[in-house]
Amino acid sequence: MKNLIIIFISTLLINNLVLSYFLGICPFLGVSGKIESAFGMGMAVTFVMTLATSIGWLIYNLVLVKFGLAFLEYVVFILVIASLVQIVEMFIRRYSQPLYQSLGIYLPLITTNCAILGVALFMVTRKYNFLESVIFGLSGGLGFSLVLLMMAGIREEIDYAEVPKPFRGAALTLITAGLLALIFMGFSGLISS
Amino acid sequence: MGAIKIAVIVLGLMGFVFSLLLAFLSKRLKVKDDPRVAKVLSVLPGLNCGACGFSGCRPFAEAVTKECKLFSGCLPGGTEVNDKIVQILGITGCISGNQQIVICHCGAISGEKKVTSSYYGPQTCKAAHITAGAIDCAYGCLGFGDCIEVCPTGALSLDNTRIRVNFDKCIGCGKCIQVCPRNLFELISRKNMDFIYVVSCSNKEKAVNVKRVCSRGCIGCGICTKVENSPYYLKNNLSTIDYNKNLDNTALEEGKNKCPTKCILEINA
Repeated sequence: MKNLIIIFISTLLINNLVLSYFLGICPFLGVSGKIESAFGMGMAVTFVMTLATSIGWLIYNLVLVKFGLAFLEYVVFILVIASLVQIVEMFIRRYSQPLYQSLGIYLPLITTNCAILGVALFMVTRKYNFLESVIFGLSGGLGFSLVLLMMAGIREEIDYAEVPKPFRGAALTLITAGLLALIFMGFSGLISS
Repeated sequence: MGAIKIAVIVLGLMGFVFSLLLAFLSKRLKVKDDPRVAKVLSVLPGLNCGACGFSGCRPFAEAVTKECKLFSGCLPGGTEVNDKIVQILGITGCISGNQQIVICHCGAISGEKKVTSSYYGPQTCKAAHITAGAIDCAYGCLGFGDCIEVCPTGALSLDNTRIRVNFDKCIGCGKCIQVCPRNLFELISRKNMDFIYVVSCSNKEKAVNVKRVCSRGCIGCGICTKVENSPYYLKNNLSTIDYNKNLDNTALEEGKNKCPTKCILEINA
């Protein structure tokens, strides 16, 4: 139990996927313009990430390891993630039209989100068991959503500011992301063994 | 050699299983698209203005097809488009009644609104409203034209820092109402009025304070309410017109002429 809590907190804050591993930067910069869309994207990523880690763990340990094919992990995880996103999209489209419309293009874009592949690969290198993997995927997604929402909030406020010309747009967004990453470094002493 | 064979077989199998699963689910979870939705969509103007109460043309078309009723109808399209929709769906529609238009309750032009400080912030009403300083009046039009930008039909324009509404272009979607930080817009039904009378002030302060910031402000004197059959009445120190009542044009005109600050405007419809 203690183990799970440590994984949860450390993935959420200390080793945040976006701000300390720099994974999933593309949606982090692309979808953080508005709080609403950031929230939708965050929830979709959390959902897919949790599912991808749990199914990925099952396939990796029950199929790949058994046949001595661990080197296929990259291909297999991409296969799993892509199919999963497709299935999730079909389900949402069938059973919740409003959610499907609000997620829009972000849903298929998750297929190419490196944070999800990253989480699946970390799960293997860190030799997590099934429950730990699920918690890892969930907290990774929640951490992603948290940072995405923070960034969206900051960017909505920045819109009001008079910014010098060379810093406008992407430049200021990247500087803000850097400062956020520095701030998150402050969490590094949160858990002491 | 053996490892490659196993790898190919396992990966091939896995791909096969996933593709089977996807093929099965895509059949099973198929969402039927009603062909009539596309037809309805093709006759709609495609402005996505939201005046019908739905978030855009597509949701409106879907709802209309599904429920087989017209709801409030397509406002910018008018009777022409609504008739076509009725034809496509074969329903006896209830065509929307009066066309809605928007009026702006600030008619002061530059020189009339007093400005004692300089404003150098972002050139949007949204930002200027927070900081104050663009104009002295805390109720009046800031004149940066957030509403002009958001108008889907280009019905609004700035004329000497006064917002002018082109009633022929206005579709009554109410986007300007949402975006105006000072709540200057009001949606009224056009009926068949040749002239539209507008109390062009929103300042709720007492006369002294109104006079201090604007020479065209409504001072709440109530002279316009005292003409015969007056459609005007006072509310929060402001002269107001109830557009839902049958309006008497002569009384409106008389009230307008008696206004000491000339803040009741008569606009060609």
